[in-house]
Order: sequence, then C-alpha cells, then structure tokens
Amino acid sequence: MGTPEASRAALPVSNTNSTPPVTLPLVTLNDLLWLLYLYPIRLLARVLPRWSLYAIGKLSDPIIEFDARRSKARAIPWIAQACRTTPAHARRIAGQSLSNTMLRTLDGLLLLRPSGDKMLRCTGLDGIQHLESAIARGKGVILLAGHLCANRIALRYLATKGHPALFVRNQWPENKAEGRFGRRFLQPRNAQLLVRANPDHVTIQDPDCSLRIMRRLRTGGLVALQIDAGGGTPIEQPFLGVPWRVRCGIFEIVRLTDCAVVPMLCLGSSSGFRIRFDPMLEIDGAPSRETFLSANLPRFLAVVERHIIENPEEWRLWNNW
Amino acid sequence: MEQLVKDAGSGSRDTMDRIRRVFIDSLQLNLREEDFSYEAKLDEAAGLDSVAAIEFVTAIEKEFGITFEPEKLTIELMRDLKELTAYVDQRTTRRSASEGPA
Repeated sequence: MGTPEASRAALPVSNTNSTPPVTLPLVTLNDLLWLLYLYPIRLLARVLPRWSLYAIGKLSDPIIEFDARRSKARAIPWIAQACRTTPAHARRIAGQSLSNTMLRTLDGLLLLRPSGDKMLRCTGLDGIQHLESAIARGKGVILLAGHLCANRIALRYLATKGHPALFVRNQWPENKAEGRFGRRFLQPRNAQLLVRANPDHVTIQDPDCSLRIMRRLRTGGLVALQIDAGGGTPIEQPFLGVPWRVRCGIFEIVRLTDCAVVPMLCLGSSSGFRIRFDPMLEIDGAPSRETFLSANLPRFLAVVERHIIENPEEWRLWNNW
Repeated sequence: MEQLVKDAGSGSRDTMDRIRRVFIDSLQLNLREEDFSYEAKLDEAAGLDSVAAIEFVTAIEKEFGITFEPEKLTIELMRDLKELTAYVDQRTTRRSASEGPA
C-alpha cells in the first residue's frame, strides 16, 4: 500500500491544490486497498485483537508487494547504494519497509480506539535527559525525525507521559500509486482519521502553521517534525545519495525562535516500540536565512540520514519517493 | 489623519508607517510603503505565507522592542494592518509604563 501520509511533496501554502490531475487513472489497486482499510478493516479493528489485525496485514503482504512492485524495483538500487549493501539485501529492506508501513498503518486504527493509549507498549525510552535539558532552555523543542513507521505511536505515547508534541504534517501528501478516486475521496477520509488519532497537529497547508508552531515553542512546548514534511522554499541538497529539494520553512522557524532541535528515533510497533532522543543539535546562529541554512541544514539532514541508514526497513519512503 | 486613526481605535499613524516599512524590509518586497493603504490586508497587498508571517513577527518585535503574547500569534492579526497597529501600540505603551519615567 502506498503512503498517503508520506509528505515528500510538501507544498507551500500558496500552491496548495487538491484538485486531482487529469492524468491519474480513475481507480487503482492502491485505491482499492485503501478502500478496504478505511471501511471494513477499520470497522473490524474496533473489535479485533491486535494480533488478528496484524495477521490480516501479514496476509495482505503479497498484494501490497504486487501493488508496489514498480516503486520497489526503483527503490532497490537506491537502497543498495545508500545503505552500501547488496541488491539482495536491499530487496529485503524494500519489502520489509512496505510491510512495516502497512502494519503501522494498521496501528493507526488501534489508536482510534478509546483504549488506544493503553495498547501502546514502550519497551525503551533512551536519552530522555537530552529532551529534558532541551526543554529546560525554555525556548521550545523541535523533535526532528525521519519519516519512520513508529513515529505516530511514539508521539501518542509521549503525550500520555506528559510530553505532548504538536505534530506537523502534510494534508495533501503525494501518493504515486493512487488514482483520482483515492485522491478525491479516500485521502481526505484518511486525513480525518489521522486527525482523530492525533488531534494535536498542524498541517503545512494551514495559513497559521508557522505561527502555531511558534506559539507552541514560545510556551516551551514540543513540535514533532518529520524532515520531509516541511513547507516553505525548497533548497536542493544531497540526501541518501540523491538530490532532494528540501522544504526549509521549519528551519526558518529554528533560526527565528532559537528553539532547540533534538533528534528523535522511534522504532517498532504498538506492541513494542522504542524511543531514543539524541543530544540536542548544535546550531550555528546566523542572521540571514542563507547563511543559517548553509551552516545547519547539512547537519539536520545528516542526523536523519544516519537514523534511516541504521534502520532502513523502518523508513516509509523508499517505495514512495 | 493620525488623530482619525487613533479615534478609530487602530493605533497611531507613525506605528502604521513603521509596520509597513518593516513588512517590506523583512520580506524583502519590491514595493513602496505608499503601495499599502491603511485599510490594507497585508497578505492581499503582497503574499504573506505561513513562514513569512514569523519573519514579519520577529521583525516587528525587534523594531518595537516588544514580544507578542503567544495567543496573539495568529495570521488574522498579522494580516490586518489596523489591528496589528493597535496591538503594537498597546504593547509598546505597556512596556513604557512598566519601565517607568526615565
């Protein structure tokens, strides 16, 4: 299944456009999978135990693999190059990434249950002292992460432990496998569910997005950012061995607010996940946007790259880049 | 004109002029202050997207030596020149009062 929440193609506010392009097919296999997910499986998830939901997910693995076969074929050489591994291993990583993405998407349904918080089993919380020392600066903290499978469940868990984080997301992410039906009807429905699962969020399409982030930071709070989810002006940078137009709006906020940036790594599933906070990143203050970004952006990207390369099967975007 | 603006509860003309200048300078716009009427919505006169808004906020804070209250950090306030002027005047007055006579 593709990842509608994958937000690589984050749009600046002024260019937001949800109109489906005419070149998309009317319905794709990916749309049908999302239709199953959003209706029958979502309804079943209200009552089914977690293991049986995961079993359904495992059973659907071959269909997901078939649906993503082209994107997977493109991803394999990239993974092999970025992770310096063999094509055979890269193939396994691509398949595992698809499977993990799907299982964490099912975790999203568990979070919709009233008892969702009780189903989260954190098996390790490392580096909390790094987070606490960053909070102690009093200027707010941006939790910087790659688009890893466990981020959403980890954020829900952190909120239950007294560390709520405003989650920055793209309301209209690109999913290359979807058709017009998926984009027009299913993606908005999924967006609604994501909001229910994590109401403490802001979308980059919200005209108030940056100001809401600023508000949270100024009150000493946390903002969670997946590095591909930023809005604003893009700058081309190498990322995992390929050129990438990084949207740098969020880093403008770092410059202007002097907040702390703490890398966050979340791995696993709702039945057992770990969270790790790395030491606060050192940030070179600079008066201008250009000098700030040239000094710090490679540092921000490098830490996320390291997380991905160490845990490639947890990164959701190999197959939807 | 200044009195009229004040009477409307919308802050002083001097503050408005400074805000217009800050808007142009902070966003590096190729515009003149005269291009904005006092009734202008700043985002209609020249794009004020989400990121530009915080650039504008921090520039205003620097210019006037104030800090916006968190609940006032909204795009509605930033785009409305009259409302923004009134708020900035209120904050500068409060700051002056708290500092007391020199």
